[in-house]
Amino acid sequence: MRLARAWSIALVGMEATLVEVEVSIGGGLPNTMIVGLGDTAVKEASQRCRSAVAAAGFAWPPSSVTVNLTPADMPKSGSHYDLPLVAATMAASGVVPRRALEATLFLGELGLDGRVRSVRGVLPAVLGASRSGFERAVVPLGQIREAQLVEGIGVVGVESLGHLVAVLKGEPYDVDVVDPAAGSDEVAGSKDLADVVGQPEARWALEVAAAGGHHLSMVGPPGVGKTLLAERLPGILPDLAVDEALEVSAIHSMLGASLEGGLIRRPPYADPHHSASLPALVGGGPHLARPGAVSRAHRGVLFLDEASEFSPAALEALRTPLEKGVIVLARSQGAAAYPARFQLVLASNPCPCGWYNVAGFASRCRCQPYAIKRYSSRLSGPIIDRIDIQLRLQPLSKSHLRGNHPTEETSAVVAQRVLEARSRQRHRLDRHGFSRNAEVPGSLLHRDLPNPTGVEDVDAAVRRGVLSSRGVDKVLRLAWTIADLMGHGVPDRGDVHTALAMRQGETEEVNCA
Amino acid sequence: MPDEEREARRALACVVEAGEPRLASALGKAEPQVIWERVAAMAGRRLEDGSHDPWVRRASAIDLDAVRAGEVAHGLRFIIPGDDEWPAGLSALEGCPAVQGIAGAPIGLWVRGPRPLAALSEVSVSIVGSRAATSYGERVASSLAGGLAEAGVCVISGGAYGIDAAAHRGALGEKGTTVAMLACGLDDPYPKLNVGLLESVARAGALVSEYPPGAHPTRPRFLARNRLIAALSQGTVLVEAAARSGARNTVSWATGCGRPVMAVPGPIGNATSYTPHRLIREGEAVLVSSVDEVRELIAPLGTVALGRPRAGRLLDTLTDDQRSVYEALPARGGRTVDDLAMRAGLRMPLCLAALSILGDAGLATCRSDGRWRLGSVSDQPVLIPDVATPPALQPGSRPTEPTMARSVAQKEPQR
Repeated sequence: MRLARAWSIALVGMEATLVEVEVSIGGGLPNTMIVGLGDTAVKEASQRCRSAVAAAGFAWPPSSVTVNLTPADMPKSGSHYDLPLVAATMAASGVVPRRALEATLFLGELGLDGRVRSVRGVLPAVLGASRSGFERAVVPLGQIREAQLVEGIGVVGVESLGHLVAVLKGEPYDVDVVDPAAGSDEVAGSKDLADVVGQPEARWALEVAAAGGHHLSMVGPPGVGKTLLAERLPGILPDLAVDEALEVSAIHSMLGASLEGGLIRRPPYADPHHSASLPALVGGGPHLARPGAVSRAHRGVLFLDEASEFSPAALEALRTPLEKGVIVLARSQGAAAYPARFQLVLASNPCPCGWYNVAGFASRCRCQPYAIKRYSSRLSGPIIDRIDIQLRLQPLSKSHLRGNHPTEETSAVVAQRVLEARSRQRHRLDRHGFSRNAEVPGSLLHRDLPNPTGVEDVDAAVRRGVLSSRGVDKVLRLAWTIADLMGHGVPDRGDVHTALAMRQGETEEVNCA
Repeated sequence: MPDEEREARRALACVVEAGEPRLASALGKAEPQVIWERVAAMAGRRLEDGSHDPWVRRASAIDLDAVRAGEVAHGLRFIIPGDDEWPAGLSALEGCPAVQGIAGAPIGLWVRGPRPLAALSEVSVSIVGSRAATSYGERVASSLAGGLAEAGVCVISGGAYGIDAAAHRGALGEKGTTVAMLACGLDDPYPKLNVGLLESVARAGALVSEYPPGAHPTRPRFLARNRLIAALSQGTVLVEAAARSGARNTVSWATGCGRPVMAVPGPIGNATSYTPHRLIREGEAVLVSSVDEVRELIAPLGTVALGRPRAGRLLDTLTDDQRSVYEALPARGGRTVDDLAMRAGLRMPLCLAALSILGDAGLATCRSDGRWRLGSVSDQPVLIPDVATPPALQPGSRPTEPTMARSVAQKEPQR
């Protein structure tokens, strides 16, 4: 009996677990059997491998081949076990030396012609292997740059099975160098604030949201520019820090995005359609769950257009990630945790037709009062509670359409102010373990930070009933962000009132007994 | 000797059920000491003749030392007519006809709290209403109480759930004074769930009761207590009450004592709107909807000017930014914040801040569609003598009209 082993990785959520692929070639009728709780993609590996081996000019062992994936009680899925399987088989049958398989991670799918194809999750897998002390990772050639993002581990890209054998035997191999898809030019893709005509209030709200990391809700009639604005929020957010970028890139790698352009350094943007299913939004799937839109938007912006049209279950599912910054998807075969710390931007119409209470269009709305009420109450209290800025968008006023106003500020100018405000926040909040005003809990606001001047006006607003007592903390957080943007050490009365004005209309949520 | 009278009154207060008309008539004929001597003497003989008079039966069982010990233990004082602290308003009860078999001034009061009761009740309003109040009612009660407290008016109520508690809370929220009139001994305030609130009331104002320590609340005692709430205050405001409500009883006492009765309207479909609306319709109560309207009714004629426009002074206090936004506000219709910022030539955050500050001062109002216009406090010259001459308006400002000042309009109702 001949035995060999190769190493690969199973990803449960973002967590990488080492998987040992053991191959034993014994006597008996020709037969290949894979054990160890593999899903269909794993079971079908034997067909792919046999064909690929033949195509590369080798012979599949003409006897009984048993493949065991251990730990055997952990479910495994995906097509990236093809490469370790074939490597171990060749080592067991003596084609390549067993030693070449030591401390080496194998990832990759095989085509029937012996080509090595890309797989999902190369970055988190190689990251996990590097942390476990592996010295070398063999990955599909097309994903070599993605694997090279991980430091402290040698990366070998293989183009085909023949290439793999050459690498393992230490022989030279000529690769037809095909320039792997040129890195996407991300700057060209991002959208600029200068494209937004007028809407200074909305631009300001966007700037504050970006500076403090505040969740934002926009209400306005159709065509007023809600999507236009939301798409421009990532463009004014600061670059991701290295550890954040690695986290974000790992998630996107799992989702199958190409990282050949390098780490994702810009905050991502996800805008699921309102018909999105619950698994699409928060992640899911059978056996072991895949990341959803909330994780795709990790460290970036999650934009829900027509928020009132999302199913209540989908909206409620946002509550945990909003609170904890992570989503844990428990399935019968294990729980997967994905980071999901996103900035939420909601856009909705004031009513089903979109024209209720829009100045100048009062007679246009034909919705029943009950329908209007129901429409606006779709967003539940716990979600609304998390939203610091409520912006009401108005159709452009005539003076803005008519006048030839100066060119608007570009995203770069605004982003610079946001960056400065962020650094002020970090300076103040670092020792409390926070980085953005939106994350600051009420206790810290009231106990450890100095009281803004004019804070008594906030109390007065509560007494007059124009601000709910829950709104107090939001106003204070906003006031701090505004002060950071204006360069004030502590919010002054003006900052507090600017914050108050940014919550106009909040009392509309109050329902009568 | 006054001490003898105090002892006699304390003993009688323990023996006689508060508000018994028989005591009122007895006090008209004899001194409290004499009455108590007579009762005590009969109590001594009780075993022989088997008297069924409840005063006598209770007199034979009371333990006045325990009552005094209870006073000391809970920081109570027992006040009687003739004390400096005795509120003058209670004498109104002496000529008042009986309501549901209850009549007369209290024989003495137990008080807990740092301030003299007479001073507290000198300028005071009682706010009463349903225990099963709606959130609207509680909001109204507490904002009225808050506004009154801010104006230096003491808020009196019964310490019960609902409107009572909201009224106390509103006054406490403004660091004002408030008095809770209870129907039980002050050693064990009722209701239990309001104990925390009542403790705050005791610190900021006073807890008052005509029942000795150890007395339990009973149905008739609540009714008797209501006459004190009505008599102690200069006026009674009814916020919410269903068709059958204890608060209705308080209103009857206020009417009997000749005190103004005020009622706050509610939605017509609500059960708790029944009594206030009925009182207004039948002319027994005056409709009130703001603090100023309440103050006007309780104040001596002419000392409170209703809805006095303050804009003349306010405009002087505005900064340049605020003034330029103010000047950009339309009197009718509305302008978006974007539009206002452009007209005022201000950066967005400064414009938002100015609008919020103008809104607080009543000089700007945000409409339900999110646009802004001039607020309800007008900018016109004011025909009230004690207001300084209106400031010279800037050139280009709105022309002033020689009309009476606009009254304070209510904010637009929110959806």
